[in-house]
Amino acid sequence: MMNTLRYLSSGIFVISPKLLTSSLPTSVKPSSISALARGETAGRRFYSTIAAVRTDLKVKCFSNMAAPDHKKNVDVKDDRISRISSSIRVIPDFPKPGIMFQDITTLLLDPVAFKDSIDLFIERYKGKDISVVAGVEARGFIFGPPIALAIGAKFVPMRKPNKLPGAVISEEYSLEYGTDIMEMHVGAVQAGERVLVIDDLIATGGTLVAAIKLLERVGASIVECACVIELPDLKGRDRLGDKPLFVLVSST
Amino acid sequence: MSAGENDGCADRIDAIKSTLRVVPDFPKPGILFLDITTLLLDPKAFKDTIDLFVERYKQKNISVVAGIEARGFMFGPAIALAIGAKFVPLRKPKKLPGEVISEKYVLEYGTDCLEMHVGAVEPGERALVVDDLVATGGTLCAAMNLLERAGAVVVECACVIEVPDLKGRERLRLQGKPLYVLVESQFEAGS
Repeated sequence: MMNTLRYLSSGIFVISPKLLTSSLPTSVKPSSISALARGETAGRRFYSTIAAVRTDLKVKCFSNMAAPDHKKNVDVKDDRISRISSSIRVIPDFPKPGIMFQDITTLLLDPVAFKDSIDLFIERYKGKDISVVAGVEARGFIFGPPIALAIGAKFVPMRKPNKLPGAVISEEYSLEYGTDIMEMHVGAVQAGERVLVIDDLIATGGTLVAAIKLLERVGASIVECACVIELPDLKGRDRLGDKPLFVLVSST
Repeated sequence: MSAGENDGCADRIDAIKSTLRVVPDFPKPGILFLDITTLLLDPKAFKDTIDLFVERYKQKNISVVAGIEARGFMFGPAIALAIGAKFVPLRKPKKLPGEVISEKYVLEYGTDCLEMHVGAVEPGERALVVDDLVATGGTLCAAMNLLERAGAVVVECACVIEVPDLKGRERLRLQGKPLYVLVESQFEAGS
């Protein structure tokens, strides 16, 4: 194994692409890895290296690591989730020590996986009479507009203070330490409109709750909150109360 | 060039232009701020905006669409998805996790900084830079520098709006980079 592993000074293992099609070395088990797969293999486009970080996180849907005959029975949707999941990378100690940051920018670098993630949302929300997609700054701005465009809804950015020009309404919400403020334009959403709220990730749910409150204050009806990733241990889903949550990937 | 020069675009451009709103004295007195959020509230105009960019850039072998935080994020990903390119966010400092390269640029007062992930772009890739608006061109130049430092070739910069009086087009031309916009602003921002 060692001739195919290079230990970098940054503390990550780089594994040669051919290992993607065989089982992982026993010293680096799937359940202890959150992996970004890189390299060309079997006609699928991966990146050129794997960064495997030993973490306590287990990312669901690791089926690209499964033995070949298992894949025959995996349906198309599971394949898409699997590819999406494996394209997300974890950055330890960001933005501060002890936090394992789920980075979706590597998903955006895989056009197939990015398109699949948007398609999965579109398939769920098309034809549901949703007229507003509200996206939370800034990573919600990456996923929200393509969904809005495909389902014929308007896109409403939910922003940090002093970014939106003109009249806004504001909602204060709690952070781990201190508070923050979210703003929405006056007049962007009418009473009675059906709204989808989008962000890249749900953790404690505080940000999504602030967005929900802003939208409900103007009389909109929240159909669902949708995220690429959920961190279930942080119980954001409970915090949303009666508002349903849909995610593509759950990371424990 | 701007899109109004093309046949078949004029009606869509007019409709897009009519959705934009000007907010006076934002972010500070004397500035007439061109607000694209009202464009995003018009699904047909928003779709037309993206379609005009997609028509121009598909099948041009562009593999990277780089969008500038945060309003470039509202246009760039939809273009990237339609033309089969990856989307690379260019962000303010300390937002991108992991290893980044940084480019400083000059503001009216002081400097700012734009960052891009190491490894997001490979040498030789053809890139499009997207933002909602070009004024002086300082931010776009910083974006292009980041991409070129990573070895990419910037094919064009694309914005919804240009403020011609602030001479961003000229600044890009001096770096040999073309600029494509849908709408030219009639108002003189900053006066």
